[in-house]
Amino acid sequence: MKNSPEILMVDDNPADIDLTSEVLAQSEGHVHVNAVNDGVEAISFLRRQGKYAKAPVPDLVVLDLNLPRKDGCEVLSNIKADPSLAKIPVVIFTTSQASSDITRSYKLGANCYLKKPGNLPEFVAVVQSMAQFWLTFASLPQREKR
Amino acid sequence: MVEDEPADVELALRALRQAGLEASADIAQTPEEFTEMVQKNSYDVILADYKLPGWNGMETVEILRQQGLDVPIILVSGALGELTAVECIKQGAADYILKDHLARLPESVRRAMRETKLRQDHRQSQDDLARSNRDLEQFAYVASHDLQEPLRMVATYTQLLAERYRGKLDADADRYIHYAVDGALRMQKLVQDLLAFSRVGRPGLALENTDCNVALQLALENLKAAMQESGSIVEHAQLPLLMADSSQLVQVFQNLIGNAIKFRGSEPPLIRVSAELSGKEWVLSVADNGIGIAPEHAEGVFVVFRRLHTHAEYPGNGIGLSICKKIVEQHGGRIWVESEIGHGSTFRFAFPIKPTTKQ
Repeated sequence: MKNSPEILMVDDNPADIDLTSEVLAQSEGHVHVNAVNDGVEAISFLRRQGKYAKAPVPDLVVLDLNLPRKDGCEVLSNIKADPSLAKIPVVIFTTSQASSDITRSYKLGANCYLKKPGNLPEFVAVVQSMAQFWLTFASLPQREKR
Repeated sequence: MVEDEPADVELALRALRQAGLEASADIAQTPEEFTEMVQKNSYDVILADYKLPGWNGMETVEILRQQGLDVPIILVSGALGELTAVECIKQGAADYILKDHLARLPESVRRAMRETKLRQDHRQSQDDLARSNRDLEQFAYVASHDLQEPLRMVATYTQLLAERYRGKLDADADRYIHYAVDGALRMQKLVQDLLAFSRVGRPGLALENTDCNVALQLALENLKAAMQESGSIVEHAQLPLLMADSSQLVQVFQNLIGNAIKFRGSEPPLIRVSAELSGKEWVLSVADNGIGIAPEHAEGVFVVFRRLHTHAEYPGNGIGLSICKKIVEQHGGRIWVESEIGHGSTFRFAFPIKPTTKQ
């Protein structure tokens, strides 16, 4: 039996983490959401440093752009520059609609860019389709045993 | 003073002092000297001889222009033909005085200083106005942008409350939550519209030769659903090329035709788009057979958030026409409406053939 999928959500807004976790908890697939609130924490989590020594390897990173300490673009380029992390798909999930942010994210290797919708029905739809696409339909690289 | 004859300097100064002006003067004899002096000092007025060895007094006008200085120049000359004199005034000299009519000099100096002061005050208030408009637009932009994030929280979480606790509290609670959700969503739309409105005023107008026929087609494409649903017919004549920001021109057509569809009468909308060359501008018209607008509201409809109907009658925030107005004015044009209640409306906008953009 397949392990339940692990998501790392990097967001400084607890309300968005709550809502995303809620939506995923209500959907099928038993997705486990790990949440961190800034870019530095995100990198520690992914590299299993300090208190994250036993952290799971995520199947998907859901990354906000506007983050304290280390912003989303920096986190993204760190991930894509690290051979052991580069294969993990990264979904940018942000309020920014600026075309400069969109272009920059894809140039840095983002696998998908989603705008956080302003109302509940759309938010639910976006999070559900994201999870369904990346964790059900898409074939992902095998998790590395570390 | 730009003068090569010391005696003439004395005569001019004496004429000014006799008239009660506390005059003192620096003397420049070459263009280089003149340039250095105007760079270093500030002068109320420049008296320049027309005929100088190796150059002439009118060259001072050009030097001042290059230096970006606004100091009035009065030509003082022994003999200046009428044609030359007129030409000098055309080029930007404030006045010219013949050396044997120096009695006229004090009044001429006073007038030149007065006019310069007025001009500078005027420029100052124009600059102030432009700055305050820019600040206001920046404020609207930042405010509407930053309001979106907390609003998103209110909207999604009141909706979550509604979804999860509907029927579990009591009827009052359900109704209150409904009001909260409805208010948050309406405010979201308002903020988005305000943001769209303030975006129109942001710098970066991309002027290009824009085919109005293409712009109109794009607008109709965006309105396809509303047109089909209402059975609208849009007729249009051959439209001109305009120097304009094409996406903004599409927006103008889209908002005007969208309104024609929204404010339709009992008949299916019949919308005619035409263009007419009038003097130095193209006047484009969008005419409909809708409900019309009372003449007393003909100007008010272009004011931001101004609405003539309740939300229940016609939805919308009253932003569309104000955006049209802003776009057209940004291109140096005008927009207005001719209408009567029950007899349809004709919106016209005039675009200068050569646009003067305001930023």
